Amino acid sequence: MFELESQISTWKRHIQAAGSIGYSDSEELESHLRDSIDELSEQGVSEEEAFLLAVRRLGDTAVIHEEFAKLTTEDLWRSLFVPADSPLTARRNRIELLIVLGLAVCAGLLSKIPAVLGFGDLEQYSLLYLKNAALFAFTPIAVYFLYKRALPLRSSIPVLSIFPFMAILINLYPSYEPHHTAILTAVHLPIVLLSVLLYFYGGPSPLIRRGHQGAGTPAGWRSTNTRLNFVRFAGESFIYVILIGLGGLVLIFLTAGTFELIGLDAFPFITAWIAPFGFFGLFIMAAYLVGQKQSLIESIAPVLARIFTPLFLLVLLSLLTAFALTPNQAYENRSMLIWFDVILAIVLGLALYSMSAREIDDSFPPAADQSPDPLGPSRRRADAPRLWDLLTCALILSAVLVDIIALSGIIMRLSAYGFTPNRAAALGENILLLINLILLSLGYLRYILKGQPFRDILVMQMRILPIYPIWALIVIMLFPPFFAFR
Amino acid sequence: MTFPKDLVAASATPIILAVLQGRDTYGYAIIRKVQQISDHRIDWKEGMLYPVLHRLEAAGLVESYWVVAENGRRRKYYHITAAGRSEYRALIDQWSVVYRALCSLSEESP
Repeated sequence: MFELESQISTWKRHIQAAGSIGYSDSEELESHLRDSIDELSEQGVSEEEAFLLAVRRLGDTAVIHEEFAKLTTEDLWRSLFVPADSPLTARRNRIELLIVLGLAVCAGLLSKIPAVLGFGDLEQYSLLYLKNAALFAFTPIAVYFLYKRALPLRSSIPVLSIFPFMAILINLYPSYEPHHTAILTAVHLPIVLLSVLLYFYGGPSPLIRRGHQGAGTPAGWRSTNTRLNFVRFAGESFIYVILIGLGGLVLIFLTAGTFELIGLDAFPFITAWIAPFGFFGLFIMAAYLVGQKQSLIESIAPVLARIFTPLFLLVLLSLLTAFALTPNQAYENRSMLIWFDVILAIVLGLALYSMSAREIDDSFPPAADQSPDPLGPSRRRADAPRLWDLLTCALILSAVLVDIIALSGIIMRLSAYGFTPNRAAALGENILLLINLILLSLGYLRYILKGQPFRDILVMQMRILPIYPIWALIVIMLFPPFFAFR
Repeated sequence: MTFPKDLVAASATPIILAVLQGRDTYGYAIIRKVQQISDHRIDWKEGMLYPVLHRLEAAGLVESYWVVAENGRRRKYYHITAAGRSEYRALIDQWSVVYRALCSLSEESP
C-alpha cells in the first residue's frame, strides 16, 4: 500500500539531510511537490506514480543541493558542504586537514618566539604573552583562509603584513607600572585582529558595477552577507574554542594527576609545551571545524541564542533593579562598572549572534494566527516579527538603560578622579556601545511597529561594525604614548 | 527543446522577473506559466527554479512572503521590488539588442 504522506516526509528528510537546503527551502519544495502531485492526480495518474513523476520533475537532488550550496558560496562553510565523494575532493580535504594541523603547530611555535628571544619566564613576562596572545592565535587563521579561499596574493599580502606590523608596534612600545596601557592593548588587540580576519574570510572587495545603474554593490569583505556570516563564524568558533578548551583542560589535569601518582612533576612540561601549543592551536582548529561540521553547529547555534537571550534579559533587568535600589553602589564601586561593561559587550555579541543565526532558523510562521485578507488567500510577511524578536528588542532596550547608567558612572568618575587610560577607554567604548544599541533599538522598533524589513537592521548593524576595531586601534596605537606608557 | 545550460541560466532571470511583473505568485505557478506560454518548449528542471528565486531575493530584486491557500497549502509568494523592475527593464534592453542583432545578421546572410 502506497503511503503518500510517509513518502513525502521521507523525501523531505532526504533533501534536508545534506544541509545546504534549509528548513524554509524544504517547506517551499514540499509545497511545490504537493502542487505537482495534485495536478497529476487530477489528470488521473495514480498517487504513487504522481509522486514519482513529481519528484523526477523537480530534478536531480544532488544538482539542486549544489545549486543551493552555490547560493552561499561566499560562506566557506556551506561550500564545504558538497559531499566529498569524488577522490579529488577527498584528497583536497586531506591536504586541507594537514595544512590546518601544520598551522596549529605554527601557532604554538609563534608563542615560543618570546622564549627564543630570552623572555621565556611566563611569570615574569606574563604581560608580554598577554599582549601578543591574539597574534599567536589569529595569524595562522589568516594564513589558513589565504590558502582556503585562494585569495589573490597581491592584494592580500599587504593586509597580512598588518600582523607583523602590529607585533612590532605593540612590542616596541615600552610599558611602565602600573601597566594599564599594556593591559588595554592586550584587551583591544583581538578586536583589531578579528576585523583583519574579516578580510581573509570574505576576500577582497572590488566594487562590482551594475551596468545600467552605475551603482556599486559591495562584494567580498564589504558585503553585508559576508559580515553577517563572519559574525556567525566568529561566534561559532568561540563556542568550539570553549568546548574543546574545556575538554583539553580536563585532559591536562588528568594527565598531570596521573604523573603525580607515579612521582613525576609534569607541570613544567605542560606549561612549557602542551598548554601553549594546545591553546593557540585551538583557534585555528575551531576555525576549521566551524567550516567542516556546519550542520552540527547550525542546530546548536539558534538553541544557544534562544537559551541565553531571555537569561541575559533577566540579568539586565536585575542589574537595573539593583541600581534602582542602591544607586550609589554603581557609581562608587569601580568593579561594578566593569561588570556592567562586560555584560553589555556580551549582550551586544549575543544580539549580533542571534541576528546572524536568525536566517538559519527562518522557519514557517505558525498558521494559527493567519487573518483573512481581502487580497485573496490569507497572507503574512515571511519575516513578520515573532515573540523572539520582541524578546531581543526588550534585551536591547534594557541594555540601552544599563549603558546610560554605566556611562554616567564613568563620566562621574572622570570628573571626580580625572582621566586614566582605563576610564578613557571605557568612556569611548560606552559611547560607541550606546550609539550602536540606540540604533539597534530604533531599527527593531521600526521593524516591529512599522513593518520595515528585518534586513534593514542587519545592513545597518553590519555597516557600523567597523567602529569597534577603529576605536580599538586608537586605544592600541595612541593611548600608550598619550598616557606615557603607564 | 533542450537549451544549453548557460542559456537557461542566463534567460531564467528575465523570464522569472517578467512573470512577476504581472502579479505576485509562487514557484509552481511560475513554472506552469512558463511552460504554458512557451508551449512546453522551455522546460526547466523544476527544482532549479528555487535557487534562482533565492538568488534574486538575496540581490533584492524580489521579496517573498508565505501564504496559506484555501486548501490549507502553504506557499511562498514572490513579489518584484522596484530594483527588480529596473533590473528587468535593463535585461529586456540587453536581450532585445542581442535579438535584433541576430535578426539583422540572419537577414544579411540567410
